[in-house]
This record gives sequence, structure tokens and C-alpha cells, in this order.
Amino acid sequence: MKNSLTKNSLIKNSLMKQFYEKGLVKYAHLSKGKKENSKLAKLIYLLGFSFIVFFIPVADAHHVLGRPAYSLNEDSNTPPSMNIETQIGDYFVTAMVFPAFPKPKEAGRINLYATHTGTNQPLNADVRFTVRDDSWFSANIEQLGAQVLDDNVYRQGFMFFNRGDYIITASFVADGEHYSIDFPLRVGDPLPIGLLGIIVTFVLVLLAGVTIVQRKKLLRSKSRDEITTRSGSVSS
Amino acid sequence: MNNTVHKPFFAWKHLNKLRWLSLATVFAMLILIPFLHVYQTFIAAHTYDLLSYSEKQIYDTMSAITSPFVSDPEEQLDALKGNTWSGTVGSLKLSDPLAVIGQIVGSRAFYWPFILTALIPVLFTVLLGRFFCGWICPATFLYELNSNLAILLRKSGLRIGNKRFDRRLKYLVLAIGLVVAVATGSVVFAAIYPPAVIGREIYYAIALGGFGSGVVYFLLTLLFDLLVSRRGFCRYLCPGGALYSLLGRFRLLRIKRIVEGCNDCAKCTAVCEFGLDPLHDQFGQECNNCTACISVCPTDAMTFYINPQDIARQGPGHLGRKYKQQKHEQGPDTSVDLTDGK
Repeated sequence: MKNSLTKNSLIKNSLMKQFYEKGLVKYAHLSKGKKENSKLAKLIYLLGFSFIVFFIPVADAHHVLGRPAYSLNEDSNTPPSMNIETQIGDYFVTAMVFPAFPKPKEAGRINLYATHTGTNQPLNADVRFTVRDDSWFSANIEQLGAQVLDDNVYRQGFMFFNRGDYIITASFVADGEHYSIDFPLRVGDPLPIGLLGIIVTFVLVLLAGVTIVQRKKLLRSKSRDEITTRSGSVSS
Repeated sequence: MNNTVHKPFFAWKHLNKLRWLSLATVFAMLILIPFLHVYQTFIAAHTYDLLSYSEKQIYDTMSAITSPFVSDPEEQLDALKGNTWSGTVGSLKLSDPLAVIGQIVGSRAFYWPFILTALIPVLFTVLLGRFFCGWICPATFLYELNSNLAILLRKSGLRIGNKRFDRRLKYLVLAIGLVVAVATGSVVFAAIYPPAVIGREIYYAIALGGFGSGVVYFLLTLLFDLLVSRRGFCRYLCPGGALYSLLGRFRLLRIKRIVEGCNDCAKCTAVCEFGLDPLHDQFGQECNNCTACISVCPTDAMTFYINPQDIARQGPGHLGRKYKQQKHEQGPDTSVDLTDGK
């Protein structure tokens, strides 16, 4: 048994030695320059690591709470795009809109929770959802639907066909009182800048620019200007 | 007669630059805070991978700005919230006294935690007068830039309005606002008070993606100042200005003219944005200690002093022609009538 082991190990060693001589195997303990080989190994590891880090494209982890991006629909467990919490009359209302980023032609959902502040009981009534454009000159109101309580939540689905800013209104009647709550909803990416934004930017740039251009003679101009105005008003 | 002229402390002359820095800083903070809030929301929602390119830029920029100061932005950035209407700086909660008065009147109740947030602004106003209007108000920043535009337009030959109204008009606006607040139960001042409107609109624009109707209102006030009356809104209509004027009526820190060093050039009166008359020692409760008159005075004849009332009229400046003429007429040994004939 011992002989066969020795023989096997001799065969193995001779094979490894051949591989080593051909450069196929790093056989450090056979080498005299042990330290050089160690450095070489480190260099190879470093180069390999650098290659992995810098050159191999790493897949972006498009995950929200552990779910991949392709399941970001209104039923996925994503953060809401808007979360409104407010007290209105006797009720504390929480409204959430899913998915995280509502897009045109994709389904979405509103979750509305309403709890009586005194009894802490959930509201049990019909809640009507309507929507209108969040613009100054639009009076068009569209019905989204009416929902009943389901597992302490009022769920209202929606699908918008156009990008834009909308106002959702949830209304209900409780204890003879009419309640109505508005909250904003943006569908699709926001516009980079609107008309008002352009005007405001222009005004700010104009005001700052004029002040910078006149900065050295501002007080002098102001005093001359005022004195001229006063003398004009006195003479007239 | 003592001919020694007391020169004011040299730094007073440069306070106007510091004031501009203060106004610009407050305005910049009004822009920064909504961005911080948006950044905080992104962090709380763990949504970096889902953000659009521009939102990622906001995230990265805010991360770079805040990382030297906070280790847990989601929690620690709560230390900086709100605007000049009502806000939080560290553990200090501050509110505009107008917001507090409006809330008290609107709700007809005293909610002390909120009322106490106005304590520091009220104390400062009692000591320094309308300093908020001159040194902090974000609307002042834009109104003063607007005044500079008016100068350029007038130079270009355009007719710019400089009508004067009764200053007491703003007290009427304040009174009407209080009555409406009582009647409706809402703080109506927030809808018309420019600092509140600006703070809110900047927040809307940054955090909610667009300006609201308040920005149109503010642009109209700029036009009013430009076409009807120079700084007309602050002088005649601002309810906050009215409240600050009342609170600062007996302020301790005041500006006075050093009559011995005055040459009657009237530049102080000309540069006063609030239309006061420092040349004739007319400051009153409207003065916001902006120090424009101090900085423009060529003979350094304006300074601060501590007194709950303005000094009486001192007559013509001793370096001016009128004083010398009077003195010459009355002779060297007689005292000169210093009341300026008024």
C-alpha cells in the first residue's frame, strides 16, 4: 500500500513538474524564486479584478424592495408616487397612488384609507373618485369610479392616455357631512419647463443682469434719479 | 462751540453690502431647501435606480452638498425645513409674526407651541424695527432688483411711476386681512404676503414640478412697483410691513444724522427705498435699518444710536451752504436756528 502511494505520488509529482516546466501550472514550492511568484500572482489577481470592475459591464440592479424593474406595475410592492396624509373633518385620510411612476397607457391604482379620528374605525361609505387637469383653464371633470370598502381600503384603478398633471378628487358623505379631498397626480415625466417657468427665469435673469451691469453706479444713479424726479414734481 | 465731528464706526458704511449678502443667502436657501427635501424623499423611497437623468443629477448634487455635514440625510435633513413664513433651523422653530397673528385670529384660539415660534422674530423687531423687511425678506431682494431695473428704464427715457400714497394704507390692509381671517377661518395673509408667496412658489416649482398662480400675483406686484409706485407694495400695501412697523415703533436701534458732518447733499433721502427723509431726520417707524443712507453718505454723517425715539429735527447740516449762510447772517457769536424752518 505504501509503495503504491509512493509510486502514485511520484507519478503525480513528475506530471506536475512537466506541467510546471511548460508554464501551465504555478508550482510555487518547486520554484526557487518564491517571492517573485507571489508578486506575480498578486499582479495577476489585481489585473483580473481591475478588468472585472472596470471593463465588464455590471448589470444595474433595477430593484425596488427586492423586486425587479419589470414588475413595477400598480400591484407591485413599490413606494407610492404620492402619499397624502391629512385630517379632514372627523376623518384622517391617507391616499396613495401606485405605481411609483405612473405612465401614460399603463394601469395605476389609488389606495385611500379613511379613519374616524374619534373612534379609530375605518370609514364605511361609497367613495367617488373624479379627475381633472391641473391647469388654469380646464374645467373638464371626469369620473374615475365609485368604490366600496374592501379590506379597510378603497381601491380605484385608472389608466391615463396622456402625460400631464392631474388633480384627483375623492369625495364621500359621512354622518351627513360631505367630505372632499384633492391630491395631485403626475403621469409621465414632468415637462422640463413651462410657460410660467420661462417668464420667471427671464425676469430673474433680467433683474440680476441689470443690477450687475449697473452695480458701480447704482447708488449714484438712484440718487440722481430721485432728485430729478422730485425737482420735476416741484416745478410742475 | 465744539467743532469736533464724531465719525461713525467705519464698518457701518459697509453694512449695506452685508445686507445684500444676507438677502441673497436667504433667497438661495429658499431654493436649496426644496431641493434638499426632494433629495430626502428620494433617499427615503430608495428610488435612485428609477430616477430620471435630471433627478439623478439633483440627487448627486445634493448628496455632494450635504455629505460633509450629515451622515444620515433621511433623518438629519429634517433640521432644515420650511421658509420665511414658518420654518425650522436645527431645533429652533421660527415663524413670521404675521403667520401667528393670522392663525390666532383665524382659529380664534391660542395654540402656544406655534405662538412661541414667533417670539424671537418679535423680540428682534422690538429691538431692531422692520429689520426683516430690509435684511431677510426674499421679496425685498427681488423688489430692490426691480428698483434697479426702473433706474435703467428711466435712463432709457421710459416713464416709470413714482406715485406716493398714504402710508397708512397698509394698516388698513392688515386690518381687512384680520377681519377676513376671523370671518373665513383661514389665514388669508398667506395668499397676498409676498415672502409667503415666494417661499411657496419656489417649493412648488422645485418639489412639485411647476409654479402656481401665486407667481403671477407676485409678478403683478413687481409691475405695480415698476409702473405705479417705487417700492409701492412694501410702502403702502404689505400687511407684514404694517405689523413690523407697529412692533418696531419704539425700536431701540435707530439711524441718526450727525448734523455737524452733514452737507445737505440729500443723497440719503434719494436712496431710501421706503421714501423716508433722513436729511430732515424723518425716519419714524417705517425705517428698516437697511443702511443704504449710511453707505451713500459722502461725509459719513449717518450712524447708529440706541434710543426708543427718533431725535428731533436738527436743522441744516453744518457743512452745508444753508447753515453757513444762516450763521453768517446771524453773526458768529449767536446761536443758529437749527429747526430748518420746519
